[in-house]
Amino acid sequence: MELFGGGRSNLVVMSTPPLTAGKDARFEREALVCLPDVARYALSLTRNQSEADDLVQDTFLNAYRAWHQYLDGSECRAWLFTICRNQFLRTRRRDERALAMDDPELEALAAAALHTSVRESNLQHMFERTEVIEAIESAIAELPLPYREVALMVDVHDQTYDTVSQILGVPIGTVRSRLFRARRILQEKLITHARDAGLGAARVTAVSGEPRSRST
Amino acid sequence: MPMINCDEVMRQLWDYLDGELTPERMQAIEAHLAMCGRCHPHAEFERAFLRAVAQVRREPVDTDGLAAKVRSVLQAEGFQPT
Repeated sequence: MELFGGGRSNLVVMSTPPLTAGKDARFEREALVCLPDVARYALSLTRNQSEADDLVQDTFLNAYRAWHQYLDGSECRAWLFTICRNQFLRTRRRDERALAMDDPELEALAAAALHTSVRESNLQHMFERTEVIEAIESAIAELPLPYREVALMVDVHDQTYDTVSQILGVPIGTVRSRLFRARRILQEKLITHARDAGLGAARVTAVSGEPRSRST
Repeated sequence: MPMINCDEVMRQLWDYLDGELTPERMQAIEAHLAMCGRCHPHAEFERAFLRAVAQVRREPVDTDGLAAKVRSVLQAEGFQPT
């Protein structure tokens, strides 16, 4: 599926064609309205407000210059995320080789094992507690970039696996494994936070990733 | 509808909660969760987790100053605000 005009993960900004007021109005209506989401995404990438603001400005400038490449009917927010991410990666060296190639199904099973420890610690309702909710944003910010960006796109910005796969230029299986790993890391951090806050009744043991028995 | 066991449900729970499975598979897992005392609490915990994470987006972000800067950059490029 061709989601974005003019390429995906390596979008090339072309020279600016003459734009009519109608096109500017459409840019305002479809692109600029996404500014809060792009700002949040940029901050999640840079983890620095000043750098994030610069990144947002560059993103919208590049998007405006490439607006003629944007396809009618495609998801403008996803298109902007792609531009934002590419701009960010131009200034940062990406190190994905250090990532383990996780099995998404094993990650899913590890999540089940984590839930067992949650139940044993009487923390089943921890996500209803303000103390835990408040810790989520910083827990996301602490995730390594490859996990953080997938969790942000899917869990915060409601993007589908397929769209994220296209934004990142990686297979859907990679999106799933990174997403599931990100969720498990987040849950482990939040469980620790809940325990430290005195929630629950017993000791919480962070699960190291070993799935439980596969027998049902 | 094919019957599936707990192990299969656990393996695809995230895909199910994200709505990423076929309608048939979604229904099969939904049916399993409705009657399984082991998987249902786990699914509810994960749902609560996803709801909590999604709240990050609902936190208001003050972008007025940034929006003004972006518009200024765009106007230098020829953008005409409506």
